[in-house]
Amino acid sequence: MTIVSLPFFLFTAAVVLVYYAVPKKIRWTVLLAGSSIFYALNSGWLALVLAGTSLLTFVMGWAVQKVLDASRADLKAAEGLSREEKKKRKEAARKKARALMLTGVLADLAALLFLKYFNFFGSNLNRLLSALGTGGRIPALNLLLPLGISFYTLQAMAYLIDVYRGKTAADRNPAKFMLFMSFFPQIVQGPIPRHSQLAHQLYEGHDFDYQRLCFGAQLMLWGIFKKIVIAERLSGPVQALFAADSAVTGPAVFLGACLYGLQVYTDFSGGMDIVRGVAQMLGIELELNFTQPYFASSVEDFWRRWHITMGAWMRDYIFYPLSLSKAFTNLSRKSRKVFGAFVGKRLPAFLAMFIVYFLVGLWHGADWKYIVYGVWNGVFITSGILLENAYAKARGLCGIDEGTVTWRAFRILRTFAIVSFGRYFSRADSLGHAMDLFRRTFIHWRDLSFLTDGTLLKWGLNTANWVLLAVCVLILFYVDARHEKGISFRRTIAAQALPFRWLIYIGAVLALLIFGCYGPEYSAASFIYERF
Amino acid sequence: MEQMMKILEEIRPDVDFANERKLIDDHVLDSFDIISIVQEFNEAFDIEIDVEDLEPDNFNTVEAMKELIDRLRNAD
Repeated sequence: MTIVSLPFFLFTAAVVLVYYAVPKKIRWTVLLAGSSIFYALNSGWLALVLAGTSLLTFVMGWAVQKVLDASRADLKAAEGLSREEKKKRKEAARKKARALMLTGVLADLAALLFLKYFNFFGSNLNRLLSALGTGGRIPALNLLLPLGISFYTLQAMAYLIDVYRGKTAADRNPAKFMLFMSFFPQIVQGPIPRHSQLAHQLYEGHDFDYQRLCFGAQLMLWGIFKKIVIAERLSGPVQALFAADSAVTGPAVFLGACLYGLQVYTDFSGGMDIVRGVAQMLGIELELNFTQPYFASSVEDFWRRWHITMGAWMRDYIFYPLSLSKAFTNLSRKSRKVFGAFVGKRLPAFLAMFIVYFLVGLWHGADWKYIVYGVWNGVFITSGILLENAYAKARGLCGIDEGTVTWRAFRILRTFAIVSFGRYFSRADSLGHAMDLFRRTFIHWRDLSFLTDGTLLKWGLNTANWVLLAVCVLILFYVDARHEKGISFRRTIAAQALPFRWLIYIGAVLALLIFGCYGPEYSAASFIYERF
Repeated sequence: MEQMMKILEEIRPDVDFANERKLIDDHVLDSFDIISIVQEFNEAFDIEIDVEDLEPDNFNTVEAMKELIDRLRNAD
């Protein structure tokens, strides 16, 4: 049951109906039942993997909390102790809690590493062993990935770390925690939630609110539009341009990467709108995952706007702890003597950032092409910061006024180009294929004849569909531009008179039915990020 | 306070630290700035700002940063 399918819409309607029909106190049980049914229908027995991770995380979180609470009570009772003795006891308790937290985090991670990366590490190790002329081979296993494992593992790890850091209190009810781990629209592809932000919203019953219900439904419609009218329509040209046997050269290859970027954006952010829309109908506010990424003025800015909850996860649980770790601080001190204060001070953060983007790449998939994709972004971000002063000088020498619209447009286009070239890695079949795409881009790099000689029509879309696609992309651009200025379309619609509002709703549904690209039984293809 | 402002202005001369109220929430400071600020504060005030202290509330204003520094100094 994909989240763009008639069964899913009926399922959502049933959950919303039952949710508001039962007493407030037990509304969370409706969400738990709905989430369990949704996950079991999608994953069958693999639901046991999610249940195992949830149970383990619950127990470890509870144990960490118990140690911290006991320490607090102990220190409160022992008033006569010296400051040093109190500090000693506190540190001993922290150490114990830390060991428990790390055990839980590593166990959660082990399940992900085994299921998602075993074959990747195995095949690389085999290659290394055969290069060294040593025998012994690690067999490839036929492993199935539970739905949303890359997302819920990060969620579980964040929960344990937050309990340890005192940013949230551990759950005491395993059933409620199971709901936090499996909330049905969000389990598919995020957003990756924090316990302190989401759990209480799931557990407390929400009052029915007609406007919130409408806002949620509108957000869903907008997400469906992005997914089935734009993303699905783009899949033909993208597949044709990235086919292994494609002989396309010149700017057409780059166009393929741009179209793929647009496809991923509309697919992923469309999915997010549907997920957030469903949650809103239930009175639950999930975190934003996109804020107009294609209006970003630098690669760093792009990653602040793209898959925001993933970026925030990497920042809070990898980047900050690494940058401030003793090892990195010592490295900074030593490197200042060698490279000078400017580089030395920044080195730990650069190194941590590189590790983050390496991991971001690896998170996307068990393949070297994803790792290079991550590093590609890391290189542009770190070099942008490292060369900041040189760029400022160059701008000054060229007399560039940074406040002008043209300069802003240039920065947006430059970021778009860098990010689109990076898509070569994420979309190609392999690292070798990506390198071939780069090579082919710069053969006949001035040849734009494909735009007029009918080649466009060989990529799975006829003229009418290209025109429709262009119109829809313009609508998307317009809406994103309005959002960039902080204007809410839903509030504008809500302010209209009832007949006009319904005219808009009916028109939108009809437009989706007429212009959407559907598979069997009005279901769209699965989401790109579902596979990550 | 004076020493703190000097450090902040050295790291980000373009920011009006005295008047900004949402340095983190409005993305005025990015994660690289935060790491630089923490490193400088740790050295200058002989404190240890921990990952757990990296909360928006502790870095949104200069006053909040001062409060954090004072709290960590008194804890030692």
